[in-house]
Order: sequence, then structure tokens, then C-alpha cells
Amino acid sequence: MTFEDAYRLSPELILGFFAILIVLLDLGVRRKGWLAALTLVGLGASAAWTAVLTAGGWQGTALGDTLAVDNFSLFFKFLFLGAAALVVLASTGYSIRFARFQGEYYALVLTSAAGMMLMASGRELITLYISLELTSLSLYALAGFLKDPRSNEASLKYLLLGAISSAVLLYGMALLLGLTGETHLDAIANALGRMPGANYPVLFLGIIFIVTGFGFKIAAVPFQMWVPDVYEGSPTPVTAYLSVASKAAGFAITLRVFTLALGGPREAADWSLIFAILAVASMTLGNILAIPQANIKRMLGYSSIAQAGYLMVGLATLSDLGRSGIIFFLASYAFTNLGAFIAVIAISHRIDSDLISDYAGMAHRSPLLAGALTFCLISLVGIPPTAGFIAKVYLFNAAVQQGLAWLVIIAVVNSVISAYYYLGVVKAMFMGTPLSLERVTAVRPALAALAVATVGVLVVGILPEPLISIAQAVGRSLIP
Amino acid sequence: MTGAQFLFYALGLATVMGGLGVVLSRNVVHSALALLLSLIAVAGIYVLLYAEFLALVQVLIYGGAIVILLLFVLMLTRSGESPLVLDNPQKPVALVVSLLFMAIAIVSFFLTRWKLAQAPRGVDFSVLGGSLFQDWVLPFEVASLVLLVALMGAIIIARESPQ
Amino acid sequence: MPWYVDITARVGAMLIFLILTVLALVWLERKFAGRIQMRLGPMRTGYQGLLQSLADAVKLLLKEDLRPANADRWAFQMAPFVVFVPIFLIFVTIPFSRELVIRNLDMGLFYIIAVSGLSIVGIVMAGWGSDNKYALLGAVRSAAQMISYELPLVLALLGIAMQASSLNLVTIVEQQRFLPNLFMQPLGFTLFMVAALAELHRSPFDIPVAESEVVGGPFIEYSGIRWGIFYLSEYVNLVAVAALASLVFLGGWEWPLLPPAAWFLVKTFALIMVIMWVRATLPRLRIDQLMDFAWKILLPLAFVNIFIVGLYRLYQWPTWTVSLISLAMAIVAAATVYHFPGGERR
Repeated sequence: MTFEDAYRLSPELILGFFAILIVLLDLGVRRKGWLAALTLVGLGASAAWTAVLTAGGWQGTALGDTLAVDNFSLFFKFLFLGAAALVVLASTGYSIRFARFQGEYYALVLTSAAGMMLMASGRELITLYISLELTSLSLYALAGFLKDPRSNEASLKYLLLGAISSAVLLYGMALLLGLTGETHLDAIANALGRMPGANYPVLFLGIIFIVTGFGFKIAAVPFQMWVPDVYEGSPTPVTAYLSVASKAAGFAITLRVFTLALGGPREAADWSLIFAILAVASMTLGNILAIPQANIKRMLGYSSIAQAGYLMVGLATLSDLGRSGIIFFLASYAFTNLGAFIAVIAISHRIDSDLISDYAGMAHRSPLLAGALTFCLISLVGIPPTAGFIAKVYLFNAAVQQGLAWLVIIAVVNSVISAYYYLGVVKAMFMGTPLSLERVTAVRPALAALAVATVGVLVVGILPEPLISIAQAVGRSLIP
Repeated sequence: MTGAQFLFYALGLATVMGGLGVVLSRNVVHSALALLLSLIAVAGIYVLLYAEFLALVQVLIYGGAIVILLLFVLMLTRSGESPLVLDNPQKPVALVVSLLFMAIAIVSFFLTRWKLAQAPRGVDFSVLGGSLFQDWVLPFEVASLVLLVALMGAIIIARESPQ
Repeated sequence: MPWYVDITARVGAMLIFLILTVLALVWLERKFAGRIQMRLGPMRTGYQGLLQSLADAVKLLLKEDLRPANADRWAFQMAPFVVFVPIFLIFVTIPFSRELVIRNLDMGLFYIIAVSGLSIVGIVMAGWGSDNKYALLGAVRSAAQMISYELPLVLALLGIAMQASSLNLVTIVEQQRFLPNLFMQPLGFTLFMVAALAELHRSPFDIPVAESEVVGGPFIEYSGIRWGIFYLSEYVNLVAVAALASLVFLGGWEWPLLPPAAWFLVKTFALIMVIMWVRATLPRLRIDQLMDFAWKILLPLAFVNIFIVGLYRLYQWPTWTVSLISLAMAIVAAATVYHFPGGERR
């Protein structure tokens, strides 16, 4: 490992260092608030280093071509670090529920962030797989932190289904390796380009397996079985993290592997069709099943399945515009969904209930939280002036340009369906009768996180140009 | 049939028998032992492929650690008296699905022209070490972090709640 | 000579050698322990009881091979062989001298580590298959103990491998022509021997087979030839560990005057006598002390050992500094053990 290698790996190294430091300090530190602060310092240091890499022209590959530092990976590093920071801020009030394991909680948030960053930067199958495992194992443990029956169920279900899906993924990768004799993504693409058509069945099998493995991470139908139970049982900050960062990591790895290794026209035609079908299934099923949900975490779980469906429309387009659309959508979705979840964390923690019916009249008990939640839900539907609106327009426009109008029509119909249940929550909060008149407030760090997310939704909704130009640069950098 | 071919088929048979034993045995400890047979036979196949180091790692990790861990867990968590019910109503569905998958996999494997290795030869041990710590250092080190995370997760899940 | 005849002859010779050695060792241990404890040991069968082991072996062969009614037939009957075969497989690559070896493997040391771990499965099979709570308890203890002590054992051997830059036992021995590794890595040797005692279920780490606690542990239900195989494997394992230690730490056959194989045997038997001596002298540890000792003392020291060797390799330190540091650490270790808090029974 040369100096340059270490330099390029430093954002991840910093996170690993802080994770271990926090676990060790947890032994001695009495006031656990310091650990949250230290976690933020670690995330900040990592982000600062990422900024140095971005600005200093350190783009390139490192460590025997296993790690890519390009605009694509740098963008996702910022996204994951930001999401983790907001989640940590939002956890400050919540984390008394697992007082004994706070150090481990923050350490696992850091290791999973490191795993996601490696998922976005790896350009080699073994590295990608092991990074995915790092992310997943951290999240399995995080899902079980509450240690009540629901949380245990969440952790166990996530672990079992995740283990199966990662085994399937590994099988798919092994088939690719057996076929091409390579694990580096660009080398796989080269080998596939030279390959006669007769080898197609195994390649197709491999593609299906890899789609399965990644589909589990991004919670696409039919690999979504775990979502409602895990989202409901996990600690709510972890649910937020899962719905935003883990999904974004899934899309990052999917984009990287499919465009780089399987981007040849023969393969691409197939997997774009697969993703189009999955997109239809995810949107429709997610939205329809979200309607009857009484628990807001389950509802947001199904909503995240539907959002994954919209995102997969971008995968089906196979164009630069579609890829940058995914990136833009992911960024705005991160703001939106984190905002919604932070508000839910604050409210539910206070009223000790996740039921939508208990949110009745929340506008009177806490205008601020209810307003922010409403704003984020509007963004999830895709109504202007929010980020969600721009993201959907951008992405669907890309799909129409590639002749996928049928897919866009389905997506728009689905957006209309989704308005019903998103606005149902809004209706309950503004029109319902409050169960009590007690004020609902949140701790300051959580409010700060909420402000960041909501302002982000608004700013991107009004002034999307800077983010669009970033998304285009990032999307272009994926194909060298 | 050469000796190597004979060995390959014998080991393959042992692997499959072990795998079937894992799935079909009604006694979980027997399943674990059948798993050991299967894993050791796979190690034998590695030896046939001139991957001695991989074979030894397989024996050490799977035979010496994972199967022991499995047996340990089985012995500590279930008493001999509890009925060993492992069936559920999805069995026929699972059978159909796995047979279907097997058929698809076999057909596609036969239709494919695989890239064959050149003259088989072993890799020198020091070359292996060098490549592991130079070309593949990133996945190797990330794996250690994965193990640390797994350890932490296991402790968190296994320890009783604060109250 | 065709290769299969050759290999059969070598394996057969090794098997016969081991069985004879074990018979001798059983007699030796009884006499030696007797002397230490001011007794005579066996006296009646032959001169000084020399034929006692033979008589015992014959008795075991003729005894009925019992199996408890509720025992798991498959696991119970296979267990002795699952214990014996891996231990015997160790000897495939143990060189008695440069030529006198069944097969000199390039990764011999790693091979030994990998294969020897398998015999735990047999012990667990025996304990679980016997349908006896003491057997099960003993097996669980045994598995926990062997897994815990395997780490310092392997790490001590890793220090040797790092120093020799090789896993080939012949190479490792030949590098010790002038200075046995014992003097280079006294700490490593100490760690290895202590961990090996635990791996062997030898006193003071004989908790899995403690008569007064679990009435003999995993082997409680066995009789006749199957019990005999367990007994045989235990002693073969003793020989294996002592042989390995004499190869990697004492320089194997690489000493002048005597023929090589003789030096190897002398060193091996000397180590075996030390282990017997420990057994005849020390009382048994408690199970919590045993685990604490492995994880809190041996394992950190093993890392320290590797660290020292790593520094030596990296910076090419003179040999004597390494020896000195290692020796100091060994003394520190001994002092720690001496003051090792027994702790309350938890």
C-alpha cells in the first residue's frame, strides 16, 4: 500500500478508526453524549477528506485497481456521510432506549457508512461483495438494538433473508467470474465483449442472481418481503438510515456493476428489461400495500419500496440522462425521507406510538414537526415546490426520451395513488382531534437535523440547477 | 478414467451426499456432521485443483471452526427431549422450485463454453501471500472489519437487556 | 517400487511405531508419576511392570464394546475414529530426519494446524452421542477449551513461520542448525507448551476429563476397543505435540554426534517427560480460570510475541536483542501467572 493508496482510502480509514475509538472510549466515558459528538467529528473528518480528494484532483484508482475515486464515488461518499450525520443527530434523544449499547450503536453506524462508501467506490467484485457484507452486518445488528420482540424479529428476518440474498449474489458473481475469469469490472466487460453468443445462458443466470442480490438491498419487489417488518421493528433512526443510505448504496453498486461490467449492448438490453419489470412491480405493489397501513413506519416502508420503483425507471433507461436522474432523485429522496423520518422519530418518541391514528391533531400539538413532516410527505408525492417534484420530472423525462413512455405512465398513475396515503397522514395531523393537548417537542440536535433536511428539500425544489449539474457530472463519470 | 477423474467423482459424490444429509436428516446434529463431510470433500476437490492452501483453509475454517461452532450452538440451545420438528408445509413447493432451478442451471452450464484454465499448476505459497497483501489488500482488510462488526453484533444481540 | 506400495509401507511403519511408542509411554508415565509421588508404579507384570501396557491393551481388545441404549448409534461409534484419524494425519508430515518422513509438505506447519483442529469434532460427537449429561458437559468444555487455546498455539507457531519465512518443517529445522528457536523465542516456546497442555487435555488443563467433576467427560460411556482408540489418540497427540515442539523450537535432528533421528527422538521424549512431570505435580484449574487465562493472558502475549518477531524481521535487529526481549516477556508472563488472581467463582 503506497502513500497515494492510503490517501485515497482515507475517508473509509477515518471512519474505521473512529468506530474502534468509540467502542474503546465507551468503556470509560460516563456521559454518552460525547460519543455522539465524536461520531459527528469522525463523519466530519471523513467528509473533509473526501472534499480534499474532490477538490485536489485525486481522482483515479487505487489499491491494485480495486478502489475507484471518481466523481461518482465521491458524490455517494458525501451522501452517505450526510445521511449518517443526520441519523446520528436524530438519534440523540432516541438513544436512551439502548443506553447500554450507545457506543456500539454509533460505531456500527460508522462501520456501515464505511461499508456503503466502499460499495460505491469498489470496482472489483470481491471488494464490492465484502463491502456489501460490512454494510449489511452492521445493519443487521443495528436493527436489533431495541431488544424487544419486534426488534429481535426485525434483526432476525433481516439477517436470514439478507444472508440468502447475499449467497445468491455471490453465486451470480461466481458465474461471472467463471465465465470471464475476471473480477475487475472493466476486465469483465472486455471479456464479455469478446465472448461468443453461445455463452449466453449462464451470463443471463448470473445477471438474474446479481439483480436478486442488489434488489434485496434496494428493496425492490419481489425481494421486499423483509421491508415492512424490519422497518417497523428497528429503532426508528435505523429505519431512516436503512431507507435512505442503504437504498442509495444499493443503487450505487447496481449502477456501477451494471453499467461498467455488464454495459455491453447485449447484456444491457436484458437487464434494462428486468429492471423495467421490477420497477412496475415495485411501484404498484408498494403503493397499493401502503394504503391500508396503520403504522407510519410500515407505511413509509412500503413507500420506500415504491420510491425504489421510481428509481429503477432510471436504471431501465440506459442513458446518461437516466443515470444522472437516479443520482438527482437519490439526493432529493435522501433529504425528503430523512426529513420525514426525523419528524417521525421526534413525534413517535414523545407519544410512544407509531400509529397514524395517534398522530391526529399533531398540527396543534407541534406545528413545527407536523409542518416539516407534511412538507416532506408532499415531496414524497411529488408536488411542487419540493425536491421530489423536480426529481420525478427529471427522471421521467429521461425515461420518455428513451422511449419508455409506457413506464412513465404507470409511474405517474402510481404517484397519484401514493398521494392518497401520504396525504392521509397530513389529514390526520391537521384535521384530526388531538388525543391530548400536551406539547410535542424534540431535542435540539434533532431539530437541527430536521431543519437541514427540510431546507434541503425546499432549496432543491426551488433552485435545482446546481444539483442537476452535479448529478450530470457524476452520471458522466461512471463510464470512463 | 484416470485416477484424478476417479477422485473427482468420488469427492463430488461425497459432497452431494453430505449436502443431501444436511437437508434430509431429521436430526440437526447429524445435519451438522453431514455438512462437515460435504465441506471436507470440497477441500479434497481444491487439492485436485492444485489449490492446497485453499484446501487447508477450508479444513481449518469450516472443519475446525464453523462446524464446531454449529455443534456447540446446537448442543447448548436444544435439549434432547424437544421434538425435532423441521418440516413445514412449504416442503413440496421448495422441492419443485429447487428441482426447477437445478434443471435450468444444468442446462445452461452445458450450453456454455467455459473458459478453461491452462496447464494446471499450483501457486507458490509466497506468491499467494504477496498477492493477498498487495493486490487484494482492500478486501482482505475490509474482511477483518466485517469480522469485528459481526463480533460486536453478536455480543449486542446475545447480552441481556439492561433492565 | 510403485508409489502406492511406498506410501502404504511408510504409513504402516508410522502406525506401528506410534502404537509401540504409546505402549511404552503408558508404562513410562505410570512409573515416572509413581516415582514423583514416591510410589513404585506397576511392578508385577514383567520386570518392573514392563509388560503392564501390553496386558492392558489385550484386556481392552477383549472387553465387550458397550453402547448405551439411547446413544446416537452413528455418532457414538464413529467418534473414536474421527478423533484418531486427524491426529494420525499430523504424522504424515512430521520429519524424523531429512529423509525419514512420509511426505514433506511445503505447507507442513499449516497442514498440521488445519488437520489437528478436526479432532474436536470427534470429541463433540462422543459427548453428544453418548446420551449422558457428564459426557455432554465434558464435550462442551473440551470444545470451548480447545478453540480457546488453539489461538495462542497457532499464533506461537506463526512467530516461527515468520522467522523462518517458510511453513516447510524441514526448512524450519535446517534453519536452526546453529541456534534453536527456543533461544530466539523463549516466549513463543512457553506459549506453545502451555497451550499445548490445554490442547492435550493434560493437567493442569484436564477439566474436560476431570474425574471428580464430570466423571471422565466425553469418554465416560465408552469401553473396550473404542475406549482404547480414544486412549491411543490421546497419547499419539502427546507425541505429535512434543514432536512438533522439538522440531520447531528445539531444532529437531540438527545436532551433532548422534544420528539425526535419534536426536529428534531424544528431544521429543524429553518434552514428553516434562509434560508428564507437570501432570504429576500440578492441581487442576477451575473452568473460569481456564478461559480467563487463555483470553486475557496467553492471547495478548501471543500478539506481543508476533509483534517482537515482526520488528525483528522488519528492522533486522540482532538476534540477542530479540531473545532478550522475548525472555523478559516470558518472565513477565510467568510472574503474571504466579500472581494471577484466582478470582471469585462466578
